[in-house]
Amino acid sequence: MKTHSIFILIVTLIIMAGCQKDLEIANPNALTIANFWQTEADAVRGVNAVYSTLHRGAISRWQWFYYEIRSDVGRSTSPDPGIVNNMDQFNINDNAYGNTVGVWADNYVGIFRANQVLDNVPDMDIDDNLKERIIGEAYFLRGLFYYHLATLFGNVPLQLETSSPEDLPSTSSQQQVFAQIESDLMQAADRLPLKQGYAADDLGRATRGSAQALLAKVYMQQQKYAEALGPLSWFITGGGAGQYSLMPNYRDNFLITSENNNESVFEWQFEINSTETTDDDVATPNHNIGSSISQFLAPKPIGFADGEAHRWIVHEFLEETTTSGARDPRLEASFLYDSTNVGGPTQTIVYGVNWQQRLNTNQIVPGVFFRKFLNDHWRNAESFRSPNNYRHIRYADVLLMYAECLNATGSTGMAYEYVDQVRARAGLAPLSEVAPGLSQTGFLDQIKHERLTELSGEGHRWTDLARWGDLGPQLAERDPAFNNFIVNKHELLPIPQLDLDINPNMRQNNGY
Amino acid sequence: MKATLPKITNEKAKGISAMKWTLFKFLVIFMFLNVSPIPINAQEAEYAQIAAEDDLKKSQQKFKSVNSVVLSEVFENLSILELFQKIENVSDFRFSYDDNDINKDLRVSMDAQGKSVADVLSILANQTSLSFRQLNNDIIVRFQVKSVEPEIKSAFDKTITGTVVDNDGGTVPGVNIVVKGTAIGTVTDINGKFSLVIPDNADTLIISYIGYITQNVIIGNRTSINIQIQEDVQALDEYVVIGYQTVKKQDLTGSVSVIATKQAAEISTNSVVESLQGLAPGVTVKNGGRPGQMGDIEIRGIGSFRDKSPLYIIDGMYADPNSTVNPNDIESIQILKDGSAAAIYGSRAANGVVIITTKKGKEGPAKISFTAKTGIQQIPRTWDVMNNVEFAALQRQQYENSGLIPPPSVGSDFDPNINTDWQDEGYRTGHIQDYNMTISGGTKTSNYLVALSWFDNKGVLIGNDFERASLRLNTSGKKGKFFFGENIVVTRTIDEAPASGNAFYDLPQLLPVIPVQDDDLINPDANNPGGWGFGTPAAPVYAWNYVAINDLHRNTSTFAKVIGNGFAGIDFTDYLQYKFNAGLEASFDRTKTVRKDGNWAFNQSPVPDQISEARGTFSSVLLEHTLNFNKDFGKHHVDAVFGYTQQYTDHQTNFASRTNMIDFNGEYLTEIDAAEGSDVAFGRVQNRFLIRSLLGRANYIYDNRYLLTLTARRDGDSRFAEEYRFGIFPSIAAGWRISNESFFRADWITNLQLYGSYGVLGINSIQPFEYAGFLNINPRAVFGADQNVYPGAYLANLFNPDLRWESRKMTNIGVTSNFFNDRLITTLEVYNNLSEDALVPVPLAFYLGNLGGNPDVNAASIRNRGIELSATYRNFNKEFKWELGGNITTIQNRVVKIADTGEGSDFIQIGNSRSQVGNSLAEWYLRETDGIFQSIDEVNSYISSDGIVIQPNAQPGDIRFIDQNDDGQINDDDRTFRGSPWPTLQTGMQFSANYKGFSLSMQWVGVFGHLIYNDVRRILDSYQNTNYRSDISPWSPTNTDTNDPRIALESTLGGDLLDPGIAENNFAASDRWLENGSYVRLRNLEIGYSLPESVLTRFKFDSMRFFISGQNLLTFTEYTGLDPDIPGGIASIGFDGGNWPASRIISIGLQAGF
Repeated sequence: MKTHSIFILIVTLIIMAGCQKDLEIANPNALTIANFWQTEADAVRGVNAVYSTLHRGAISRWQWFYYEIRSDVGRSTSPDPGIVNNMDQFNINDNAYGNTVGVWADNYVGIFRANQVLDNVPDMDIDDNLKERIIGEAYFLRGLFYYHLATLFGNVPLQLETSSPEDLPSTSSQQQVFAQIESDLMQAADRLPLKQGYAADDLGRATRGSAQALLAKVYMQQQKYAEALGPLSWFITGGGAGQYSLMPNYRDNFLITSENNNESVFEWQFEINSTETTDDDVATPNHNIGSSISQFLAPKPIGFADGEAHRWIVHEFLEETTTSGARDPRLEASFLYDSTNVGGPTQTIVYGVNWQQRLNTNQIVPGVFFRKFLNDHWRNAESFRSPNNYRHIRYADVLLMYAECLNATGSTGMAYEYVDQVRARAGLAPLSEVAPGLSQTGFLDQIKHERLTELSGEGHRWTDLARWGDLGPQLAERDPAFNNFIVNKHELLPIPQLDLDINPNMRQNNGY
Repeated sequence: MKATLPKITNEKAKGISAMKWTLFKFLVIFMFLNVSPIPINAQEAEYAQIAAEDDLKKSQQKFKSVNSVVLSEVFENLSILELFQKIENVSDFRFSYDDNDINKDLRVSMDAQGKSVADVLSILANQTSLSFRQLNNDIIVRFQVKSVEPEIKSAFDKTITGTVVDNDGGTVPGVNIVVKGTAIGTVTDINGKFSLVIPDNADTLIISYIGYITQNVIIGNRTSINIQIQEDVQALDEYVVIGYQTVKKQDLTGSVSVIATKQAAEISTNSVVESLQGLAPGVTVKNGGRPGQMGDIEIRGIGSFRDKSPLYIIDGMYADPNSTVNPNDIESIQILKDGSAAAIYGSRAANGVVIITTKKGKEGPAKISFTAKTGIQQIPRTWDVMNNVEFAALQRQQYENSGLIPPPSVGSDFDPNINTDWQDEGYRTGHIQDYNMTISGGTKTSNYLVALSWFDNKGVLIGNDFERASLRLNTSGKKGKFFFGENIVVTRTIDEAPASGNAFYDLPQLLPVIPVQDDDLINPDANNPGGWGFGTPAAPVYAWNYVAINDLHRNTSTFAKVIGNGFAGIDFTDYLQYKFNAGLEASFDRTKTVRKDGNWAFNQSPVPDQISEARGTFSSVLLEHTLNFNKDFGKHHVDAVFGYTQQYTDHQTNFASRTNMIDFNGEYLTEIDAAEGSDVAFGRVQNRFLIRSLLGRANYIYDNRYLLTLTARRDGDSRFAEEYRFGIFPSIAAGWRISNESFFRADWITNLQLYGSYGVLGINSIQPFEYAGFLNINPRAVFGADQNVYPGAYLANLFNPDLRWESRKMTNIGVTSNFFNDRLITTLEVYNNLSEDALVPVPLAFYLGNLGGNPDVNAASIRNRGIELSATYRNFNKEFKWELGGNITTIQNRVVKIADTGEGSDFIQIGNSRSQVGNSLAEWYLRETDGIFQSIDEVNSYISSDGIVIQPNAQPGDIRFIDQNDDGQINDDDRTFRGSPWPTLQTGMQFSANYKGFSLSMQWVGVFGHLIYNDVRRILDSYQNTNYRSDISPWSPTNTDTNDPRIALESTLGGDLLDPGIAENNFAASDRWLENGSYVRLRNLEIGYSLPESVLTRFKFDSMRFFISGQNLLTFTEYTGLDPDIPGGIASIGFDGGNWPASRIISIGLQAGF
């Protein structure tokens, strides 16, 4: 019967179709991880991703707030009480506060990225020089992220391999974390090329000098001044001697026209992407490769003015004049306030308009605004897209660190020379003339002043205070927020609650 | 089961059979012989009025009903088989029977002139033990033993006569008349008359006729009875599409809601979903008002954190009925709610299935019908905020309370001429136009329908417009054993709207002392070339100027879509059919965004002007083979479907943009090529997957009393890792038609049926490739003196390789009862659905460095339980006909399990909603307020058990919060469950009435017992940088009897936090912003008038009807926001962040056909 055979045919077809197994559909959008880590280009891309972390909003913007606004130099009058309470006022009642968590998380994002390089690149069959360099960069950057974590959060878990969701690491003490960073940075210093070892297109990558300078910082935060002399002397008398010099014009360190200059030891690279839509560097290639910090620091109504400086810092600059009797030029480069120009409010230009016109409303207390990240030197507006690089470690910092370590290890006399180099660039008389024969304590006090005038607003104030043991309620004289400061608590930030909830092996910092 | 066949005549009695029998004689003699029991309700039980067996739902068009084929023969002494042959000769019907069931000796004579096939068969059914059932063009004949034993009684004491007429007074032949409790019966003759000899103790006649309501008539002392029978409007609904099959509604063992499409069609909507609100129990619909917005639908609660959408089937194609589908094209909507009804859709059915069947042509000459509707749309309610004078006075007071100088706009520079009513600037009278034209017709073997429509909605908010044009073509035909057809719709929609901002959030906040736009404000340097008004230090407010956005930042979305299917098949035999179905959904969408230069808000970071375009192509191709079986074996009935289906879905998107449009004196060219700045381009395959499935269902019915349904589907889905790709989803259901039992004697209950089901269904909400790890190539590093950009790559997103289906164990028990001759029909159902393996984003610790979202894990479990009741009462006896329907739904939702990650993780917190084990999904988790501090003594004496002052920052007039953990401070640890966004009761009510040509219909919706978080009021009542509600009464030492706290500033514009007490009052995570969301709404009111026949014939029209309708005319609620009916995602149930309220619509319309 004809219909009968059609019926059988159809049933057969149905059964056959049901047995086919072509449910395997390849992802046309992305490579599987298994196909990566094969070529030199893969290795370079892998380490580039680690650098990319520095564009992420929490790191490029908020982290700085914790180093400067939280310190005695900065303050916040943001309309966002979260910023005020957590980044300025030591009024922290939420261990899950988003921006604190963001800083924590973004540093671990960088660590996750660095770990992937460190887990994969050593086994790759590629050019050895390149391989060593990339491994060195990854070690340096992992050390950098852990340095942020150690100085802000202190006791944090060490993730040293590519993460897996099951990882439940224990809390490591700040000391253990510093030890790990030392190890990472020594690995990096061994492998990284000198500044001129890079091709011009690679300017901005971590160098041996970057690793040495950061290693010195790590030692110094542990008061290991003698150990710090090792990496620091590398710049003065070792392999790095002559590699770096102070820029004649101090302000060149903060202009977009003189980036990656001779003074730059490690610099975060930023550029405008005028079509970016997010700070999230994995969401789209079209993300923000600039920094949004200028938008948050510029005075209203140009920016949000979420962080400002206390007025006392201005007076710090006015203690001395240059040898020609002029005001310390670093003040004008460091802060925007009613007398950034010595001529006062009518001469002080704020984004194309004088201070008087720009901020003439009785609602706004005349503020002092951090200037080093701003773009007022080349445009009359700010935006989330600042191309202005962050000169994270400058040679001037290295010189002052060297002086501090020499002093701390009893060589005060030898230390003068390096402070004087920094002062000379600002036009100030040599310390050996104006304050010769300082005691060790006296010299340290002088270093504290020198670091304020030279490095204000560059993200080192919090670690400086921590190293010197100066964090405490006594700072309330300068910054009333320190009235809320509780010793043995507020030196560190709270560990994000979520991580504690998930991982029973971790513990919260003291007092939270 | 073999029984002695009754014989009317046989070959041995040729003498009698040779005679020409009139129908009447035949009957009378038969009655007196009394050799055969009469089937109870033979017609009703056994006839298929409409063809079944085809989820193509075009049965009514493709196959003629036995009612509609009228015979003109006189049959004389034919064998029963010869009679069948005669009918087959003059119609498309074919009889199918088991030889053993038929007594070939049976002889029949009958005058069938003017009788329909149905009439003839009903007579045969009455007089023999044969029953007939129509399936497509097949008439299935089977032998049936009647359950009622004949009452042998020789004394027939009385003859009763009568006439049966219909609603219009016309006589009705072929109506069954049976003496209740006996086998004695007859049918009416050609003139609608009957005569019956009945026992003297007979008291009731049962009058039944296909398509009419069965009646019980008390005989009393009468010997002559005239009966008017009522058309059963329910009859058309009697067949329901349950996916790959069509079954009689009464044979259902699962839960299916059949939507009264007439009522749904009265609502003016953008999308089909919206029109379903209140019409079916267990179906929760929430509506937004934005033109082109799709309503929000939940069937029996939410059982997943990722997906609550039901599966939609449009004419057999799995497709999305968003606003591109014209509601006017829809013939019927059926909602499959339980584990049995929906089980045939397996892994996609757990959220329920909505089956949409579009209109088909009917046999007959071409008919043209036309519907036109036009109306106005209004915002039913706006925020009552202050004018310039009131505002300035209160803001001055506020600043003075804080010891500050008021902003110049309300102080030194106050300009009485500026008094902007921002809401008035943003809202307008909207407009709806809806035109539909349909041309349809058909022959015996084919039919067609062409529908054209145009819908246009100018929204109530400036700049928001939606337009849809569609063309539908549905045809089908048959040739011999083969049948074929297609349904296709082509739609184009245009949706225009501002690309950012939410007017319902921003407009009430904006200050009346700021102009919308002013030449004085033009300042290109400050990025305000248009001179738009927004916040300044002199008039602080951060809300966005929506009027400016409407000019500066606009989206135009064009959507072109085709949904259709084509099918072909063969009827091998009367009981076996093969069908091939190919479906397609394809859409092409394009969204163009123009961003001009300029700001619209205080402190807005400037961005370059930009033109951008996003395009997407979507296609989904369905291929299906199904075999249908349908056969009776004596008292046993079996119908079944077995099939293979596969669907391939592909969705791709591209985006391109360029900055710096070229501007010619303010005129922009808005094509990408006409811009000269930086480019962006990206594109990807958004979605690509294949599903292959085997499916089967068998329905078994024994003696119309016991029903059993077994269903299973095996799905294979490419979206899972290889070891999780296949899943089997089985279900079982059973029913018991108690009213067909012989012991059942309740006259007033015409139908009583109990049914229950259990099934395991699935939901797949995961994205393709989600189970695997892929390289992220988006990171970028910057190096070199020229700051060049270099790509980076790594694994960014940790993944879960063990993703699998979310499953749902669904239990349903129901009872359907028809009372008082089907005037009252009720359905009561109880269900218990347990979702297991629901996907939840189990949070990963931050130290893992994961980005791109937490991988979901099949770890949660959610239970939804509820009761659904629906009832319809209709009274069609009089000239004034009316019908009242109502339904009640309760849903109890409980999180049973979240995840196994240890301490402190038995909940998921999103915003202010916490889903915690033991509670409902997304309950409000907030600080609890406790009135207002009236004095400083109250503040100081409000201490914890350790003596700590709990709110040291508070002042008199501030809100008191409860220190739940008694730690002496108020913080997030003091949050507690403060109520549920889930209604305890949802109701719908429909009323319709007809009198002569006039009609009235009404729909009401009532939702009760849930709390809404009013985020717009939170902003307004915070008093900070916003306009104020007109009726606030802030606390002051002289105004203490109020619920509004004192008014002062939280912080200065510069940012100094100067009053933490005020900041605490305004804390978002506080139950101060919760409100009772219960409401009762008159959803629709329509009054219509149909022109009488006499007038119509003069104009050569078949029908013409005028109507006026009002939608959302009345709402009763305590809610202070604009509308308590708030759609939203699973995470934001009950959150009103400026929801677009449902508009009030008043429209007039015309329906005409010729």
